[in-house]
Amino acid sequence: MKFSRRDWLVGSAGALAGLVLTPVPWKLLSDVSIWTQNFPWIPQPAHGPVETQFSACTLCDAGCGVRVRMAAKIPVGVAGASRHPLTRGALCPLAFAAHQLNWHPRRLREVRHKGRVASWTEAQAAFQKACGEGPIGIIDGRPGRAASSVYEAFARKQHGSYPPLLSAERQALEPYAEWSQVPVASLGYDLENARTIVSFGAPLLDGWGIPGRFTRLWSERAAGAADPGLRLIQIEPSLSRTAARAWRWIPIREGSEAPLAAGVGRVLLDERRVDSRGPMPPFTLEEAAAATGLAAEAIRDLALKMVENRPVVVITAEGNPAIAALNVLLGAVGAPGGIVLKRDDAPSPAPVEPVSGPLRAVLMDSTVPWEFAASSGAEVFRFAAWDGGGSSTGWLLPAPGFLEELTDVPTPPTSARETYALAQNLVAPSTEVRGAAQFLLQIDPTLPAVEKIIQARCEQIFRARQGTVYGERSIDVAKLDSVEHFEEQLRKGAVWMGDPPKHSKFRCELKEWPGANRVGRAANWVAGWDPPVLPALATKLYRESNLREPPAGRQG
Amino acid sequence: MRRNLFIFGFGMALAIFAGWTAFPRALYVRREQPLEFRHQTHSAKSGLAQCDSCHVLGNDGQFSGMPANDVCAGCHSEKVGTSAAEARLVDGYLKPAVATPWLVYSRQPANVWFSHAIHIRRAGLACKDCHGNLGESDQQRLYEQNRISGYSRDIWGHSMSRLGRAPGDGMTMSDCEDCHRRRHVEVGCLGCHQ
Repeated sequence: MKFSRRDWLVGSAGALAGLVLTPVPWKLLSDVSIWTQNFPWIPQPAHGPVETQFSACTLCDAGCGVRVRMAAKIPVGVAGASRHPLTRGALCPLAFAAHQLNWHPRRLREVRHKGRVASWTEAQAAFQKACGEGPIGIIDGRPGRAASSVYEAFARKQHGSYPPLLSAERQALEPYAEWSQVPVASLGYDLENARTIVSFGAPLLDGWGIPGRFTRLWSERAAGAADPGLRLIQIEPSLSRTAARAWRWIPIREGSEAPLAAGVGRVLLDERRVDSRGPMPPFTLEEAAAATGLAAEAIRDLALKMVENRPVVVITAEGNPAIAALNVLLGAVGAPGGIVLKRDDAPSPAPVEPVSGPLRAVLMDSTVPWEFAASSGAEVFRFAAWDGGGSSTGWLLPAPGFLEELTDVPTPPTSARETYALAQNLVAPSTEVRGAAQFLLQIDPTLPAVEKIIQARCEQIFRARQGTVYGERSIDVAKLDSVEHFEEQLRKGAVWMGDPPKHSKFRCELKEWPGANRVGRAANWVAGWDPPVLPALATKLYRESNLREPPAGRQG
Repeated sequence: MRRNLFIFGFGMALAIFAGWTAFPRALYVRREQPLEFRHQTHSAKSGLAQCDSCHVLGNDGQFSGMPANDVCAGCHSEKVGTSAAEARLVDGYLKPAVATPWLVYSRQPANVWFSHAIHIRRAGLACKDCHGNLGESDQQRLYEQNRISGYSRDIWGHSMSRLGRAPGDGMTMSDCEDCHRRRHVEVGCLGCHQ
């Protein structure tokens, strides 16, 4: 029998058809796909002993408790630490992927000056020269840390400026501080005891305050319930993530929050729904309805909803006294479930006198948002762990990334209790980085070191003998035998939480209904965590799920 | 026409035969374990009846995986018997303190996180639910390594078609998902790929 060319072709066609009925194509497809995931140039996590470390998240000032899984001394996973008394295991999506940030392609790895590579020596010499030529300013995105004390001390010695950079949450508490004469650092929100929260645009489920704290409260008391134990009423023009999950979403016109607050106040006072006899708001119900685009009946319904399930607290996205006045009217200031005192006495050192003239140079800590622009004319020394893009005219100095430096985490602005935690430098920096405090200490070695300041703070807390340390087990500070033991606990990821203040009542009165102007806010100087980059995992989970829109033109 | 059908069928049959017999042989490279080891001998004669006698799951949840040298040295600090494997174990690995380079049948890729503690203590799974009857084996199987992916054949399972597999035969992501689905345990992507 002779085999023709046609026979070969027919036989091959049969073989091809037969191959489909074998594991060959399907198994090869599977194996090749695995092979492509394991190309030698794809970075692989190092193999080594797996251990778990506890720490505090340093991505924002909230300091949520994190449990870091380390393989060969490198973080390979971040999860919430259930031992943290406020966050109890909950985290924001960004923190879950924070370990990836240190490997981000836009990680700053060298000193840059006007776009070209420079050295630390050059940067140091330039800053020293600037200090000798005129006043300098130091911008701190997260005041209150041990590093902040270094900045403040340096600014004082140099007769420079150390202006406060307030987070939106801290600004929101400023009206109460002004009306009650209680320092803003002593005020916080008692969300745990609130039953109704009225949010005027505050992104409660998208990174507001202590993200893990509200996420945990929400999951326990509100999520999925038709009549939740914690009612969230979100007043916001657009259907944000928080609005979408709130018990009630009330869409209003952009910028009409103050008239709405006034309208609600009017209803509460006219119908005697509140005990206090505060000043009458300047808007009538009809005027408020016209300004907000809501029906008058809807505003009245909102007012009734606010008082039917107390305690109620009103939260604003920023310091808007016209909205904050509602809390005074509702009796929520100085009451459980409202605005409460977190400590009896708040140390309020005299602030550094602001410099009147132009600054010669401005040093910016790595916690300052990337978009923050210093006053024009000053030479800028910006510390940052990641390059947020755009052209830089000054110095760009690589700072430690996630968990790459020892830092302390003082009480977050919105907390109802005092807390203190340490974020240990669990990771060796992958490149030569320096923190701003370290940079200043190299210029002026007489400044107090961050470690020493942390030790002093630990000693101060320990000597007070109050509060509890939440670590592997919770222990009263009074039962600890030494300050070294206390500090060791904090370094292992424990959190100290103070006892409630003995005197929780304080007076807060309104003489007149405030206007809608914002208070306590230096022009354009607003802090908040606005990351210049997003970790790869968070990009998928967070950005693409429309939880937070990145600034225009920015790439993660 | 009939001739063409015959040739087509012949080609098809040849491909099917080769695909189911020669392909699996060609896909995997077979490697010997560094030592001859018998689970059955250790469990029946040495009183190490439980898997965790050697593969220790600590109180803190840490799983030891393959036993370290000091575990083996507990009985084999000196030669027990006269076999060549015994001599190789004692003289080649235990005395010079060199880790035995076992080829682990169930080694998972680095992008997967797996906790033995959660599966054993919380879910109550037995070792054989995932590892099959490996603990009762009387002789070492050859370690079969996929030439393309580099994974052990135990990950895919011994049946190329993956039909009618015995429990514990196969440890792919689909197997994990199937088990979780059966037990109504949802972990999401981040549960394993942290």
